[in-house]
This record gives sequence, structure tokens and C-alpha cells, in this order.
Amino acid sequence: MTQFLQGVSVPVRPEIPTVFAREWLRLAAPGSAWDGRQRVEIAAAARASRHGASESGPFLPAVATSAAAMLGSKPGRATRIWAESVISTIGSTAYVELVGVVARASAVDSFHRSLGATEPTLPEPQAGEPTGEQDLAARPSAAWVPMVGGASIVQALSAVPSESEAQEDMHGPLYLTYGQMQDLQFVRGLARPQMELVAARTSALNECFY
Amino acid sequence: MLRASSEIANIPFDPRAITDPSIDPLLEGGRALIRFTDAAVGSDDPADARSLLVELLGSAAVVDAAAVVANFEMMNRVAEGTGMPVGKGTLARTEEWRTLIGLDRYRHD
Repeated sequence: MTQFLQGVSVPVRPEIPTVFAREWLRLAAPGSAWDGRQRVEIAAAARASRHGASESGPFLPAVATSAAAMLGSKPGRATRIWAESVISTIGSTAYVELVGVVARASAVDSFHRSLGATEPTLPEPQAGEPTGEQDLAARPSAAWVPMVGGASIVQALSAVPSESEAQEDMHGPLYLTYGQMQDLQFVRGLARPQMELVAARTSALNECFY
Repeated sequence: MLRASSEIANIPFDPRAITDPSIDPLLEGGRALIRFTDAAVGSDDPADARSLLVELLGSAAVVDAAAVVANFEMMNRVAEGTGMPVGKGTLARTEEWRTLIGLDRYRHD
């Protein structure tokens, strides 16, 4: 855990570096459709694109590298046609996993940058084959990917249960648990309206309508 | 969530600040929170914005602000990457605010 939050001058709630450490373990391990080397390459491509650079490795198909870069730096530019093109090449399960990996790695990097810390070194990939995990109950939805139940943000990655669980794991320490979201008078370092102002402004800057 | 939380706390709030940083959001430390968020999401060094926020609201507030930015950097990518639609009920409830702050420019459909 020591590689996280180096150079931060304010006290950080311990659950945050703890969840980052869990995320780095998840990132390095084989996923549903991608192995550990490919998952780390996805995170590297997304990170490079946020820095205005490009990075590709030997293990990831070019279309996946390009998709990771796009979602890493310009998520608001994604369109249905673009996503369908990517999915037609790599498949919906691999695409869902890629979205999850990019999203969570972006959160880890963002927190470090905001607090003046060095972005943590990406983890060493673990050996092993992709697990093939998927929820067979996932069905085509009003969104671009299959989901379990109706289309909703908490179900967005539900076609790959481990990705959905990882999203929820990060959501609580960084913002609120799904249960706490109903408490509109929640106060931590910020009061709830202040938290929502930051959330809304972030989404506007990312051109995210949702 | 922003509208609901400000209404329930009976705190005045100007939603136009979400898309126009020249407008005071009227919340305590609101301008500093906007400045910090802009620096955190953008390419500017957030050091000055961070120092101002610590001065105004304290170190726990700056940690929370950084964490909320990080969470929505994640959730925005999940929503945009999966093409998450906004429900008809939410669209109807938020029409006035969306028009006021020009949010519909970000719609894909």
C-alpha cells in the first residue's frame, strides 16, 4: 500500500488507500476476457491518453488500446456507433471489462493528481488465463451493452459480475455507498450539496449527460 | 441529487454554476470547490486551488472533494462507455434545470 498517496500533505481517510490497493490487485489479475498483462496495458493506454500521449503494448489488440485511450481521455465523445464498432471486434464482455478497468484506473490516478501525489506505478501483471466469467442473465438493454435487469448506472457492468462489484467497492470510499446515496443530509468533510456540486461540475467537464 | 440535497437542507444554490464557473453557486466554499474541480479534471496544476480549499474548508474537505472528483471520473466513464440512458421520469423531472444550465448539449440521443 506504500506506493499510494506519496507526497500527500493532508490526512486521507484510510479506506481510500485500502481500496486503491485492492483495485491494483484486481487490475493485475486475470479478468473475464483479458489476462493480467492485457488489463495492465488497458490501464496504461488510458493513463497515457490522459497525459496527451499514446502507449501500446504487445498483448492487447489495437482496437482495445484505442478504445482504452478514448475512454481514458475523452469519455464524452463515445457514441453508440463507436462502441458497436469496438464490440463487433472484441465482444461485449471484453468491452464491459475494458470500460470498468479504464474507469477505476482513472479514478485512482485522478485522486493522486488532485492531491499532488505521484500517480502510482501500475502493478506487475499476475499470470493466468482469463476466467470467462459472465452473468448469463445479462440481456440487451437500452444502453449499449447487455445488463442484468433494466439499464441503470449501478447495473452498467453487471454482465461481468466482478467488474460490477469492483465499481461498487470503489464507489463507497470515494463518494457514498449505494445505500448512503439516499441520505441527502450526509456530511463528511463536505456537506452533501457541496459534494453534489463537485460531482455535477466533474460530469459537466467530462461532457457526461448522465 | 444536487437539487434535492440543497432543497432538503434549505440551502440556496444557483445551478448555473455547474456549467458557468463565473457564476457563484452560493454554497459555502462553492467558488473554491468549482476552481478545485476544474483544476483536478483539467490540465492545470491543482496546487493553488487545493491550498485555497484547505484554507476555506479544511483538509478533510479537500480530501472529500478529490475523492468525489475521482468517483465521478470513474462513473462518467462507465456511463459514457456503456451508453447509459437517462430514464424518462428523470428527464421530465430535470427539464427545467437542464434548460437553465444548458445540459442537453451533452445528450447523445
